[in-house]
Amino acid sequence: MTVSEKVALTQAETEIINNFIALKGKLPQRGLLLETARKAAMDAFYKHGLPSRRMENWHYTDMRTQLICIAPYSSKSGGALAAPLLSRSIVLGLINGQAVIPSHKAGKKMPATPFGALLANGEAELPQDFANDNVIAQLNTALVSDGWKLDFPENTSSDKIIELQNVQNGAQSHVRFPVIIGSNANVMIIERQIGNDEESFISSVSNLDISEGAQVSWIIIRTRGMTSTELNQFNARLGKNVALKLYIINAGSRFLRQEINVNLDGMGADFQLRGINLLSGKTHTDTTMVVRHLAKDTTSTEIIRNVAIDEARGVFQGMIRVAKEAQKTDASMICNSLILSDSAEFDTKPELEIFADDVACGHGATVAEIDRDQLFYLMARGIPEAQARAMLVKAFVGELIEGFDRKEMGEVLHILLDQWLQVHI
Amino acid sequence: MPAAQETIRQVHKIDVDQYKYGFETKIETEKAPKGLNEETIRFISERKRESGWMLEWRLQAYRRWLQMQEPRWARLSYTEINFQDYYYYAAPKSQIEPKSLDKVDPELLATYEKLGIPLKEQEILTGVRKQGERSELDSNIYASDRVAVDAVFDSVSVITTFKEELARAGVIFCSISEAVRKHSELVKKYLGSVVPIADNFYAALNSAVFTDGSFVYVPKNVRCPMELSTYFRINERNTGQFERTLIIADEGAYVSYLEGCTAPQRDENQLHAAVVELIALEDAEIKYSTVQNWYPGDKEGRGGIYNFVTKRGDCRGNNSKISWTQVETGSAITWKYPSCLLRGDNSRGHFYSIAVANGHQQIDSGTKMVHLGRNTSSRIISKGISAGFSENTYRGQVTAHRRAANARNFTQCDSLLIGNDCGAHTVPYIEAKNATAQFEHEATTSKISEDHLFYVMQRGIQEEEAIALIINGFVKEVIQELPMEFAVEAQKLIGISLEGSVG
Repeated sequence: MTVSEKVALTQAETEIINNFIALKGKLPQRGLLLETARKAAMDAFYKHGLPSRRMENWHYTDMRTQLICIAPYSSKSGGALAAPLLSRSIVLGLINGQAVIPSHKAGKKMPATPFGALLANGEAELPQDFANDNVIAQLNTALVSDGWKLDFPENTSSDKIIELQNVQNGAQSHVRFPVIIGSNANVMIIERQIGNDEESFISSVSNLDISEGAQVSWIIIRTRGMTSTELNQFNARLGKNVALKLYIINAGSRFLRQEINVNLDGMGADFQLRGINLLSGKTHTDTTMVVRHLAKDTTSTEIIRNVAIDEARGVFQGMIRVAKEAQKTDASMICNSLILSDSAEFDTKPELEIFADDVACGHGATVAEIDRDQLFYLMARGIPEAQARAMLVKAFVGELIEGFDRKEMGEVLHILLDQWLQVHI
Repeated sequence: MPAAQETIRQVHKIDVDQYKYGFETKIETEKAPKGLNEETIRFISERKRESGWMLEWRLQAYRRWLQMQEPRWARLSYTEINFQDYYYYAAPKSQIEPKSLDKVDPELLATYEKLGIPLKEQEILTGVRKQGERSELDSNIYASDRVAVDAVFDSVSVITTFKEELARAGVIFCSISEAVRKHSELVKKYLGSVVPIADNFYAALNSAVFTDGSFVYVPKNVRCPMELSTYFRINERNTGQFERTLIIADEGAYVSYLEGCTAPQRDENQLHAAVVELIALEDAEIKYSTVQNWYPGDKEGRGGIYNFVTKRGDCRGNNSKISWTQVETGSAITWKYPSCLLRGDNSRGHFYSIAVANGHQQIDSGTKMVHLGRNTSSRIISKGISAGFSENTYRGQVTAHRRAANARNFTQCDSLLIGNDCGAHTVPYIEAKNATAQFEHEATTSKISEDHLFYVMQRGIQEEEAIALIINGFVKEVIQELPMEFAVEAQKLIGISLEGSVG
């Protein structure tokens, strides 16, 4: 007997199922394959429902109680794309779940196709099998309507930065970003999750397939309003000698589940993750990561820094899996949290699962308040307490965004951190 | 970096086919009818000559157990346990309850002799025989004249040594069955107060059918004059052993307790589901050490004990301290998380563990430190080694509740793999619910303090040697937590260095 058979549907579950029924035949799709994928996804959701804390992967995030109701679909289209963070980048936008075709020439030269168009002419691919607790894949597959497909040919080495903007002003949308990166390509992509203060519900899935020798930087910046709910999944497969750097900065959303699944498939592949969670208000932010070392000589380093104030609750679940074949793996994961109010909470679960005997894996986790000695040191030099605290918090998180090849990227991120600190600390 | 040769040699020395305690004692036993129902529980309660409240308590636990589901979240795989397939009570016919030494079946005494546990106080005290002659096995702590032993054989306690000497100090040390009869006020007050009857599936089962174990009460401001220990032996075929231990250290008291366990070599999987409750009142300290050496199964993974254990200490009073030290080498399956509830202000909880898995052994073990009071601190040091086809998981939880201001935790867990068919896993849960909590969790040898390393290397010692030196210092730290006499057993493990630790 499974849990889902016993319990009644929650309001959110009912709304999701009703949405699917209402949208039947209206979502872009062509061909039997897409139709069966969507149906399989919804069947899986119907069978398993929203995950509860009884599922180990959702131990600290009970969606059955967290997700009270779902922002409904809305026909009103509003809003505009934001100015790009870096002036030279190419913006590929989505407004309320609909791709915005870029007008300037550079955009047209880009190997980018709206995902909605691919769905409509049957050229899109959607997953067919769903793990019982993979609610993000279930929802996204069932309801996806648009997105961007990116295809970088071999040896692409462009100084053009792609900025994916997912603008959501209220309502609901489900988008997808399949990304293929050819061998020895060198690309930088910014994924911005933005929108106004209206209540919204979003699922967003990125799938990266990175071939031999490519170097990729992917930067997720989330500053959407404090009433939005976002389910985000970042999946990547790394071929031989691929280097992937993933930066995630969260400074928004009422409810967020950010999943990261990285497979180090080829020898010598390297994955770097730097995550900054700036948590305020009465919010829930969950980062759940699985890094699989599947080949020899693979390396990974994951550093997560969290600052929690107000009644914010943060979660980091990290798992490093080292397969039997992945000898000489070198992996380390560390999660540091700074809790600045008595009503804030941070829960950490940094797991290791190791099947190879000649590897070095480390994990660490710390939770602390601001160091009194450091505070005293600054205040003794005439810096007011509030400012001194802000400086220390800034130093704590700022460290993670040093060392960008493109200096202006680091500058933009520092401005972002400063803005948050100014308002909240 | 792979494991050091010395370590590999030491781990092989205690491999599953080297099990030395696998012999069987031929003795006539009385058993409860096979299977579990309310009648079985009445049978046990009757044999133990318990009064009505105890039977009611057991039945209540049984009814709750019927409604519970077996936990499956641990990283363990085993075929379903048929709870109706066990005998829940087995006792030597001659021995329904502890007796005076001259009345104990010589066969039983011989068994304990063989295990290295002399039960004759006179001989121990006069030193008639030297430690070395006493047993063909490695001799150990039990042979010391500073250790009182409660010897539990299947479902009954055979004898408890040094009771009179302990009584003179006001310490009560006896089997739990005896305590239920003779000290029922204390038992009523504390039994189930740390691990409630419906705490979990196995605790509920134990509450319903527990047969024997030890009871310790150390009165106010008494430092227990000797080490206390219990030796558990499973002998009968198809039986489950359900030990129940309750230790209470009243205000300002101190006690150190050691538990050991072995079982014969058999193809079947025998069940051992224990509950241990510790209560430390204000300023009290309890030190609890375990050497778990149940039969681990053979090379192919046949047989071995299923060990499902709930151990929990309650630092109930201010400034109290509980420490758990465990050396785990036995059992086919281990499911065990000795925990501390840090309820009193300034209370402290420690957990030191060395777990070695060989053959097809599976270990899912760790601890829980629940910080509830103010200024509480906890420390976790865990070392897991996997060899052969084994799986070794550390699972630990550290929680600071809203009101646990200034909670401190330090955790270090290291694992080592020997060979490529085994697995090592670490699953820590770290939950901070207030701003003044300070938690540190770390793993791997690379976390050796740079300062220490620098200090040692500066004196002309090569890096590798310097690391070894520092690590050995760390290993000794765990071993030192064990009662001194017991170090012999632990000595075997001291050679295991952390070189090649994988995190």
